[in-house]
Amino acid sequence: MIEAVGLSKHYGSKTAVDNISFTVRPGLVTGFLGPNGAGKSTTMRLIVGLDRPSSGTVTVSGKHYADLKAPLREVGVLLDAKAVHTGRSARNHLLAMAATHSIPRKRVDEVIALTGLESVANKRVGSFSLGMGQRLGIATALLGDPATLILDEPVNGLDPEGVIWVRELARHLAGQGRTVFLSSHLMSEMAQTADQIIVLGRGKIIADAPVADILAQVAGKAVRVRTPDVAKLTRLLAGNEVKVTQTDPDLLMVNGLAAANIGEIAAKSQVVLHELTPVAGSLEDAYLALTEDEVEYHAGSLETEATL
Amino acid sequence: MTTTGNTAGRSTAATPATAHGPRLSFVGILRSEFIKLFTLRSTFWCIVIIVLLSVGFGLLASTIQVPHRAGIPVPPPLTSAQQQARAVTFATIGSQIGELVLAVLGALVITGEYATGMIRSTFAAVPRRLPALIGKAIVLAITAFVIGLVTIYGTAAIIFPLLPGVKVHPHWDNWTLNESLIGGAVYLMLIALIAFCVGAIIRNSAGGIAGALGLVFVLPIIVNIIGGLTQATWIGNIGSLLPTSAGGHLFSYTNSKTQVVSGVLSLDRLDGGLILLGWFVVLFIVAAVMLKRRDT
Repeated sequence: MIEAVGLSKHYGSKTAVDNISFTVRPGLVTGFLGPNGAGKSTTMRLIVGLDRPSSGTVTVSGKHYADLKAPLREVGVLLDAKAVHTGRSARNHLLAMAATHSIPRKRVDEVIALTGLESVANKRVGSFSLGMGQRLGIATALLGDPATLILDEPVNGLDPEGVIWVRELARHLAGQGRTVFLSSHLMSEMAQTADQIIVLGRGKIIADAPVADILAQVAGKAVRVRTPDVAKLTRLLAGNEVKVTQTDPDLLMVNGLAAANIGEIAAKSQVVLHELTPVAGSLEDAYLALTEDEVEYHAGSLETEATL
Repeated sequence: MTTTGNTAGRSTAATPATAHGPRLSFVGILRSEFIKLFTLRSTFWCIVIIVLLSVGFGLLASTIQVPHRAGIPVPPPLTSAQQQARAVTFATIGSQIGELVLAVLGALVITGEYATGMIRSTFAAVPRRLPALIGKAIVLAITAFVIGLVTIYGTAAIIFPLLPGVKVHPHWDNWTLNESLIGGAVYLMLIALIAFCVGAIIRNSAGGIAGALGLVFVLPIIVNIIGGLTQATWIGNIGSLLPTSAGGHLFSYTNSKTQVVSGVLSLDRLDGGLILLGWFVVLFIVAAVMLKRRDT
């Protein structure tokens, strides 16, 4: 169980996390979603006390992280696959981490096997690929058999097989009654892994709801319309609550009107339709809709760049 | 009330209660820091270089005989005390260059973790941070002292049998001689610790090493030059308080205070050792306060 109350973090004049409150419950996989720079990593660092909150508090199992008697056994954390000395072997890194809590050597071998690192365990971490580094980070997080897992972008750099492995691992750990909190900037990843999703944008919580609810917010709201007379139909449909986007020369995405209404409007003005399909909202759409105004780094227009 | 609530919550969890079984302890932190120090190649390279420097320079110094030139009066034979002093110099001369390497090692112990990001794993395991800093310092202190002691006595054991060749007869049972050799190891330990503190404050490998070497080696030269130009006594006294000059008394055979001449500072072994210790303590406090305050 992770509880944050009024948590804020400023770096100089820049606000990374802006007065957020949330609860991450045991037995569930909670996804922490947001564009890059939204404050996800900062929030996770605040939870484990690597950064000091500017205001507010955050507790794990009802205590401040620093007050835990056995931090590694309460909380397993993957903040950054690179939080390892590159000159040390994976096994020695795990042995050093285990030693702080007198965790037996046997457990080190277990997490090495669990994360599939046997063949590279004695190699220096500096020679690791991003994916192997990620596995070592997860092995470190699992070392203390913790009740709470905090994983920052765990699938970053993993191959498809590794992605599925992390997904199953997260589900499995939550199934055992543990608290699993993982961040991603990819909605599609969360859709398949998380039960609950907290969406962060520019340091603020935009949404905190079960995956199904977030999906429902956009479900069936878009309609795909194919017509040879795109311009005319766009004119007819466009209005206050209606958003029409041309995605192909003969294809429109219409938000805010039911398929039946679109059909009637088209019939009245004798516009030919080749397709009229209500589109189930994807989590990706929901995410984009939610974070539309909250993305910190928008891609600049290519044309502007060219004129420079 | 709260206690029972917590216990009830724990027992329903699938994971074992943390009230039993492994937990964070200072002994564990020490063991962890030992593993960390001795699982890095840089540590072994530092030890190898220190040993080679110490033995090499010791051999060089003790076997070079200044050829006697005609016309120059033959110098009088050394007194026994002078012979002991010379034996100490030969046994410790290499480790005075080796201290450079130990200073680098001391700084790297902490800056290496900042450079690689390892420090975040360290502080995730030891969230109060200070025990980790103290643990690192203790492990470094023990390691540097043992390296220093073994190297200096090892060098002495190799070169002392050769010294009669240059008309120096060291006496192993001379207590001042042993005090000086042990003092040399203490000196190396404190220099490594001071470099460690500078590394902990600066947090960057290049900066930490440069800062430590600057304090230990460059600052005395600057103060010397200024002192030489101005001929001011107080600048000379500041020079005597710098780590290398104050610490030098730790392994100097001539251990008595010289006569105090008009305000010029004179130190003996204990004074010098305490001043060097003072440098470490002050820097360690600064490092500890910054460690607690800063984000990682």
